[in-house]
Amino acid sequence: MFNNLIFIILFMLGLYTLIMKKNLIKMVIGLNLMEAAVFLWVIAFSDTGGRISIHKLAETNFNFNDPVPQALTLTGIVIGASTAALLLTLIIELNKFTGTIDRDQIEGLND
Amino acid sequence: MDIKVLFLILVPLSTAFLIPLIDLINAKLRRFFVLLGILLESYLLVSIIINNFSELKKGDLFLQYHLGGWQPPLGINLVMDSLSLIFVVITALSLLLIVTYSIGYIGHHEGKYYVLYSLIAAASMGAILTADLFNIYVFIEMLTITSGALIGFKRSKEASAAAIKYLVYNILAGLLFFLAVLLIYFNLGTLNMADIALNFTTLSVQIKLFITAILLTSILIKMGIFPFIFWLPKSYDTAPSPVTAVLSGILSKVYLYIFIRIFWTVIGFKTLELLNLNSFLLNLALVSSLLGHIFALQSNNIKRLLAYSSIGHIGMIMAVIMLNSTAGFYGGILHIISHMFMKAGLFVSCGYLLQYTRSHAYRDFRGVGLKNRKVFIAFIILLLSMIGMPPLLGFASKWYVLIAFLEAQNYFGAFIVIFGSLTAVIYYLRYIAKGFEEAKLTDTELNEEIYSRPLLSVLYRGKIVSFISYTYTAIIILGGLSFRFLDLPLKISTLSVMNVEKYIELVLGG
Repeated sequence: MFNNLIFIILFMLGLYTLIMKKNLIKMVIGLNLMEAAVFLWVIAFSDTGGRISIHKLAETNFNFNDPVPQALTLTGIVIGASTAALLLTLIIELNKFTGTIDRDQIEGLND
Repeated sequence: MDIKVLFLILVPLSTAFLIPLIDLINAKLRRFFVLLGILLESYLLVSIIINNFSELKKGDLFLQYHLGGWQPPLGINLVMDSLSLIFVVITALSLLLIVTYSIGYIGHHEGKYYVLYSLIAAASMGAILTADLFNIYVFIEMLTITSGALIGFKRSKEASAAAIKYLVYNILAGLLFFLAVLLIYFNLGTLNMADIALNFTTLSVQIKLFITAILLTSILIKMGIFPFIFWLPKSYDTAPSPVTAVLSGILSKVYLYIFIRIFWTVIGFKTLELLNLNSFLLNLALVSSLLGHIFALQSNNIKRLLAYSSIGHIGMIMAVIMLNSTAGFYGGILHIISHMFMKAGLFVSCGYLLQYTRSHAYRDFRGVGLKNRKVFIAFIILLLSMIGMPPLLGFASKWYVLIAFLEAQNYFGAFIVIFGSLTAVIYYLRYIAKGFEEAKLTDTELNEEIYSRPLLSVLYRGKIVSFISYTYTAIIILGGLSFRFLDLPLKISTLSVMNVEKYIELVLGG
């Protein structure tokens, strides 16, 4: 329950930042916040209270966490980092041409 | 077990990462190296078809490769059945044509361009061939990142803004897809598509609805269906012409393939019917198609107009697929093929025609046809095919789509098909007439204009570019005259979509 609450709060905070903030960098932060919310929720959900998360030891009566969501989340984090890097590069590029990172002052972002 | 299926993904992937090394030897070699990579891919595909021709004819082509030797429910596996084969073939053909075009078109930052292009090739092949849901997510994100970088490739203000907009929408869609995949994993404990398909019906209705809604939102954003169409025209407009051809010719079709795969094979059409989503989606797609054509009417920019017409056509394809009938799939897949070549051909010839103009706007289109008559005639033939003129491929596909709508007694859909053709006549005729208007600019003024523009579509090898435009036109004309030859592939791919049980059995059993 607590996990879900944190997930919803973080996700909505990210969505709010993405939609309402005029600063492009803050938009990227909002996107990353939403990603972080999803990743945190996935990791929290896959935690079954086990001590380790290695599949091989499952046979020896160890209480283990599911390793697959963690592996998938790692992939997700890598993808999130690369998209954020690409977005920030484009924002720097845009700033060179327009001299601003305000969403309202750049034509073509809000139509 | 057929390792050639794996090499279809590996060849462009390794091409992408070898290009920087080739650059160290000789920078001019990289063009031929990329071409070699795509040609090798085509060779692999041809050899797969020839080796399995007898099975292909009977309609039970099925190739599978287990990565690392893990058997299906556990490991990642690549699957090629009749549906993926037809998509791989048309994607590979488009990739080959567009890479040849790029050799003639892209004159600056070639190294970066070809790396990204090969990555798009690898990712689209991977998204079509994989049978693992998380793998689809990875390949979709690969497509998003590479195409986002290519949209911003011109490094102008508009290009960067369009790329940012494209990326924000598509990253959001990717995040939703990730969430849906993880929800499926938590509920079923598997990521294999056949295994999910086997067990998905056992879930409770609320969870089914939640997962389906998230997946649908994500894929609708990626395809550009009605509530989420607003990123599409801008990015199609500002990207370089070969990139636009990739976006509309390959990416949107790959997303349509993923849509078919997920909502017929994995989740199953019965689930959509159970949740009462099928008629909703059908009407949403039709509204999207209608809006695409209406927006195209008021558009004053040729590339944006083509983008809006893309929205119209993709909506129409999705609607005809949503009928879930054999005729619907037959028409839908035929229209996917014809739209792939028509639209890519139009963007390709646009790239040639717009080389002497200031912008893509309607007023600058004046006199374009008089300066490059041959390419303009090819352009007009492609436009006629978009409208649906009888001897061309566009007519055949629109005819089958119309028949599918009439067979299902969906008269709104049939109306949209005809409405689309009629509005297309209006908005294309405007441009054809403008193209034949006398332009007053002299040659020196033209040259000044070309060199005053920063890095905007200056052609380097015009002959290659015009040759590819003619090739697309030839494909459309020949396809229109002999579309009966497409009967067999269309029938077997329709069969393989409808027969989900066979797919599950083959994946889990073989």
